[in-house]
Parts: sequence; C-alpha cells; structure tokens
Amino acid sequence: MAYYDELFKLCGFEGKEIEKERPRIEKALERLGIGPDDMQTADSWVRQNHDVSLEGVRKLLGAWLKELIDLVLARDEGKKIVYFGFPAILGPGLMLSVSSKDVFVCAPDMVLCHTMGQIFNKLTPILEAGEANGLPPGHSLCSLWQVKVGGLIKGMIPVPDLALASSYYCDMGSKADDLVTALFGVPVAYIDGVMDSKWGEYPNYLPERVQYLGTQINQALNKAEKVLGIKIVPDAWEKSQKGSQAYVSNLLRLLDLMKADPVPVSIVELELLEALWGSSTNRGIWEGIKAMEILLRELEDRVKAGIGTTEKGAPRVMIQLGHTSDPRVTRLIEDMGLAVPLTFILAWIGGPQVKPKGTYTTPGETIADYELAAAFYHGTDAVIKRFEENAKVVKLDGFIVNYLYNCRPDALASHNQKKYLEEKTSLPVLSLEWDIYDSRSYSAASLKTKVETFAEMLKAKKKSAKV
Amino acid sequence: MKALDKLDSHIKTRLTDLSKAKEQGRKIIGYTAGGYLPEELILACDAIPVCFIQAGDNAILKDAGHYICRWFDPFWRSQIGYLTSGKDPYYTIVNLIVIPITDNHVRAFSNTVGYYTPEVESFVFGVPHTKDKSALEYYLQGISRLKKKLEDFTGVEISESRLKQSIQLCNRERELFRQISLMRKSENFAVTSKDFVALNHGSFLAEKEVMVEILESFVEEVKDSAPLPKDAPRILFTGSTLAQGDSKVMDIIEAAGGVVVMEEFAEGIRPYWGKVKLESDLMANLAESYFMDRVCPGWFRPGTERLDFLVKLARDYNVAGMIWYQLMYRESYKVESYFFPDILRKETGLNMLTLESEYDAMETGPMKTRIETFIEIIRR
Repeated sequence: MAYYDELFKLCGFEGKEIEKERPRIEKALERLGIGPDDMQTADSWVRQNHDVSLEGVRKLLGAWLKELIDLVLARDEGKKIVYFGFPAILGPGLMLSVSSKDVFVCAPDMVLCHTMGQIFNKLTPILEAGEANGLPPGHSLCSLWQVKVGGLIKGMIPVPDLALASSYYCDMGSKADDLVTALFGVPVAYIDGVMDSKWGEYPNYLPERVQYLGTQINQALNKAEKVLGIKIVPDAWEKSQKGSQAYVSNLLRLLDLMKADPVPVSIVELELLEALWGSSTNRGIWEGIKAMEILLRELEDRVKAGIGTTEKGAPRVMIQLGHTSDPRVTRLIEDMGLAVPLTFILAWIGGPQVKPKGTYTTPGETIADYELAAAFYHGTDAVIKRFEENAKVVKLDGFIVNYLYNCRPDALASHNQKKYLEEKTSLPVLSLEWDIYDSRSYSAASLKTKVETFAEMLKAKKKSAKV
Repeated sequence: MKALDKLDSHIKTRLTDLSKAKEQGRKIIGYTAGGYLPEELILACDAIPVCFIQAGDNAILKDAGHYICRWFDPFWRSQIGYLTSGKDPYYTIVNLIVIPITDNHVRAFSNTVGYYTPEVESFVFGVPHTKDKSALEYYLQGISRLKKKLEDFTGVEISESRLKQSIQLCNRERELFRQISLMRKSENFAVTSKDFVALNHGSFLAEKEVMVEILESFVEEVKDSAPLPKDAPRILFTGSTLAQGDSKVMDIIEAAGGVVVMEEFAEGIRPYWGKVKLESDLMANLAESYFMDRVCPGWFRPGTERLDFLVKLARDYNVAGMIWYQLMYRESYKVESYFFPDILRKETGLNMLTLESEYDAMETGPMKTRIETFIEIIRR
C-alpha cells in the first residue's frame, strides 16, 4: 500500500483501480510535487469540505483526479493536447476529442482548481507562479488564467499543441493565449465573436452573428485538423452530444431532487459535477456521469428520509456557481442558514429554453446557433433574463448574484442584475463580489458579514410572512 | 499658433452651434471612441458627428460607481459617469448614440445606455477581434446596418455622391494629420505632441470643414516655426486611450525634458494612416479602410500586427525609448505589456516604461519619479 492509497480511496477509487493506475498515479503525483507529507493535509481538507458520506461525492472527486492524471501525463502518453478556456463553447473541443483517441482536450486550469485546490489545498504556489509570469496581482486579471500559466511554468501540466481561444466572450482569455504563445510558442485557434447585442434584444439574434461565430468555429476546427494532423470524423457533432445528453439528463433528475425541502445536498458537491461538464471532454465526463448516477440514488434516499444540508424551511436562494478551488467560500452560504437549491447551470438546463433557429448546416453555425439561443454568449441582458426565467423552476426566497470581480463579461452584471431581478421578481438580491478560483482575497471570512446579514434578513422576512 | 487659437474658439462655441443646428432640424450623432465608426456615414446624411472622448477626472468615476463595479477601464467608467450624470453636455445634446463594440469595457457602457438610460436612443454594432474575410464581412454588415439606421433616423438617403463627398472630406482630414505627424520624423520639426493631440481631440468635436481648414493653416504655420530642441530624447508614446483631459503623463514627459514624437493610441487619437478608396463599392471601401487596413488596437488577437507596427514606428521615428501608458483593468494592454518589452529590445535595443492610471491625482508623484528616471536613462 502506498502513501496515497487512503486518499484515493477517500476520493472514490476502488482498490483495483489504484493497482491498475499505480504507475500513472505515481508519475503524476511526482510531477505535481505531491508526496507523503501532503496526505494528512489533503485527507483532512477533503473531509472538512466535502460530504464524503456520499459515495457519489467521493466518486466525483475521483473523476476529477482521473482527469488530472490524464492531463498531467498526456504528453508522456503521446497525446496531442488541446486546451480551451473556461467558460467555453464546448462543441469544438468535444468534436476534436471524439475524432481521435490520440487527442486530449480539456480546460486544465479548472482541473487544477478542483484537484490541487479542492483536494490537495496546494493551489497558492500555482497562482503565485502565474502572477510572477505575466499576470501580476492587483490588476484584476483572471485568476483562472494565473492557474493555467502557473501550472505550465511549474511544469505540472504539459505545454499544449494548440489552444482554442474563446475570443467570443472574454478579452483576457484570448490575450492570455497570446502570452502563452510568447512564453511557450503555442499556436492558437481563435474562435472570435462579438457580443454586440443591444440591451433587450434577447431572445432574438441576428443571423450574421451566427454566421460569423459559426465560420470562426469552422475555421478553428480546420486549423486544429492541420496542427494536430487529424481528421474530424463526419459524425463528430452527433458523437460529441452523447456525453452531454447523459450529463444533462442526470442534471435534470438532480434538479427535481433539489426542489425538496430540506435541500438534500450542498452546493459544494453540486459544483463538482457542474464544472466537470465544462472542463473535460474525456474520461472526466464519463466518470462524472457514473458518479452522478450513484449520487442521484443516494439523494433520492435522503429526500425520502427528509435529510438535508440545512434546516427544513430554510430560506432558499439561487447562486451563479460555486467556488472551484476553495469549498469553504461556497459552504459559507449554507453555514449562514441558507439553502441553495439552484445554480445558474442547473436552472439553465432545467429552465425554459429558447429554441435555436435550427436552419444551419455547418457544424460551426449549428453550434453558434445553439449557443446564442442559450443566452450565455449572447449578452448580459440575456443571461439576466435567463436568471429571471429560471428562478421560476424552484421556489426561491432570494438571489445571491455572485459575480467574479476579475472576469469582465461576468462583472458587467455587477449592478444591473440586482436591480433587474429585484424589480422583476420582487425578491431580495445580494450582489456579491468574489473570485471563484482564488480565495486569497475573497475568503469565506471576508464575505461572511455580507452573507450573514442577507441571511438574517431573509430569515426574518420568512418568519414574518408565516406570522 | 493661429490655427490652434481658431480651433480653441471654435470648440468654445461648439455647444451653442450644435444647439442651433439641432433647432434647425439637424441630427447630432454621438459615438464612442475607438476609431471604428466611419464618420463619413454621419456626414453623408447631413448629421453632425460628435465623439465622446472626455476623461481624466477621477471624480466622475464615483458617478459611474452607481452603475458598474470598479474593475473596468476608467475611461469607459468615465463615459458611464458622464452619460448618467449629465456632467458632459455633449452627452445631453446628441440625438442618437452609436456604439461600436470592441471589447467588454465598451460593453459596460453599452449595457448602461441600454438599461439605465433607455430614453437615449442608441445603436450598437460589433467590431470583430481578428482580421480575416469573415471578420471583414461582419464589420461591413455592421456599418451597413448603421447606414440604414442613419438614413431612417435623419430621413436623408446616403447616396453614392453624398458618401463620396464625405469620404473626400474625411480623407483630406486624415491626409493632413498624416502630413503633420510625418513632419516629426525629421530632426528639425516644430510640432509638439501636445499640439498634435489637441488637434486630434478637437477634430472629434469640430465641424469637419472647419477642422480641415484649421489643419491646413496649421501645416502652413508650422513650416515657419522654430524647431524643438534636438537634444531632447525622442519618445514613442503608446497605449489604449488618450482622453481629452488626460494630459498628466504628457505634461510630466515634457517637464522632464522628453519630447513625444509619436502617439499610438486606439482611443483618443484618430486613425490617420489610411485613405478610403473612392472607386467602386464605397461601403466595402469604408470597411476595408476602417477595419482591415487600420493597424489594430491591443484587444485584437493576436496582437502582433500592432506590436510589429510599434517596432516600425520606433525605427521610423528614431525614438530613444517608449512609454506604454495603459489604463487600469484594460487587460489586453496589461498582458501585452509583459511580453512586449523583450520584443522591442530584441528588435530595436530600446527600453520601455510601463505606466498605469486610474485618473487618480495620487499617481502623479510616483509617475513623475519613474518618467524622470526613464528619461535620464535613455538620454545617455
């Protein structure tokens, strides 16, 4: 038995799996600078932050670990490596992934956050390496990018063969891809788009937006074929949807369970599975689906038994997304006595959908059409409207709109989202500035006063409504 | 200089002139900075273009703070502040605001117009961040929608001949700016950067015909002016935005004995290197010139075209150093400022000083020390 066996078992690995993967695990841990001295911290960190009484949660942690091992060893194992940013339009990455077993595609920074952050509690040195190499602190630069650059600089993750730049959403991401090119010579396939909708335009969108974004996706796929030396299979789009469909149907089942009072599982665990979907295109997805199936069964039992994370009758709030590297920050909301049955992703899946036009034929345009209808890459007002609509999915008492201070597209909603939702839903809204990747400046302790006050207000409101 | 005096008095009465024009039924079209709006389209429908370029006052950021968090470029937060507070009269006089969306900082402004001031009529179109055939087509579609909007809004058809006439006028303005700028390649030049920037800023507000006359006078006058000191280190001054009212860095450079011979800014300096062709499809020509031919700003990806251009400018203008002036939280410029100094040094042997601002008076002291030291070093 090796020093890491217990931790990996805690994270849902079966004994047989550990044996089978042992050489890979050891090689990966060595590269990540993780040794026996780190095990006690990791063990207590995982137990402190996650509900490990649920096998599904343990398996989800394991799914992230498997994705990490695959990522760290991708170059050694002869894979052609493609990185995309987070969030991203997933279609192109998924299509590349299903087209060749020799291609490994993922969002490596998210993998590092969920493993080096959530499991090993060793993210800070990675962030600091990113800060020291082009993305300094104090400038509101994306901390997820600091993680990516830090991981590359420290040699933890391999230098990719190609970067897919999400130039349709984030200015920082594409420019940081330029930085990675300057540092490591990585070629970039820019998928450009312009979020130029007028306020109030959603759910409509101009056909030229679909055509432009679609053409850009097609061009990026062509470039990827050339750079990687692969051919995208004709049914790549259909194949790539298989994993997504299974994931979505499980999320829908989960959404039903989250309607229960008390809410059966913490948002901390929900985040593990929501983020996995947007970060992996490989084993993580399939392992995630298996883990979800176990988790769903466990949660059904909890609902039947009336077991939950907060007291029955606790005020219920919707948040955008949980913290990706430090669960204490997300847990704070529940610690203050608020139940979180709904996140943006969950509601996005389960809420009312805008149908894409469906008239496009190329893969790029089909993807672009779908994404613009889905709101996230349409514009700020589209996202806020989806929030409003989706809030009807579950009965809520309020919103915590937790925007990322260092993500411009997200921070665009810092003020207008609160005003809009309060006016449209008559529910209280806490606009909470934070950073979902790095908790050094936005720690649970620093956010406590705001969340606590909001929670007290919601509780008092609920109490007075009963009287 | 008489030309600058004329510009000064023209701008002093500009608001009154605009009010009168508005009363007479002419439309005033405000537009946001960045150089992606072809003024030709506005002029061709007998409307008056006004570009919003005021910033540099930290106090206005407090007004903006009611609408957006602080993590956005202070220039664009200033625009939000001026729009919502009414403290910049140019914002209250316009009939329509046109917003070419370049990056998320501009979207912050666009969202504010759309959500908080729905009574202000606005029109947005997108500027792609990469240059290829599909991007050019997208830009052309955007300005074509704008053309239609302007025709509907003003009731004036933008005919081929009207458009041609306005292109000729704007070409003349660009040509004059280019001519003045090129004078500074020589060692015996008499154009101060402050004058050049003042002409630029004035041109965003002035009546186009008047501006062309002023530039023509300036060209003549400057030929007879005494040249600037030859021993002063020649500086290439670059960044995202050089707003009207943001002269702090230029003042310090001048006081420290440096002389700016070239300003390369995406917002606040008019793109003047290109010329719109007058043959065949004029709309396509506008798109070609404003989007493809123009050297892109830092938020294009990749940013190599602009960085190569900076190296070329450094050589062509024989500069002794570069000052890179970026505004806080404009991430595209911040990230490039990390890896560009190595490229510059490798290509030209020159050093670069990076400065950042949030229009805060507290910055002046440290900036002064850094600029003085930099000039001291490059003077040797």
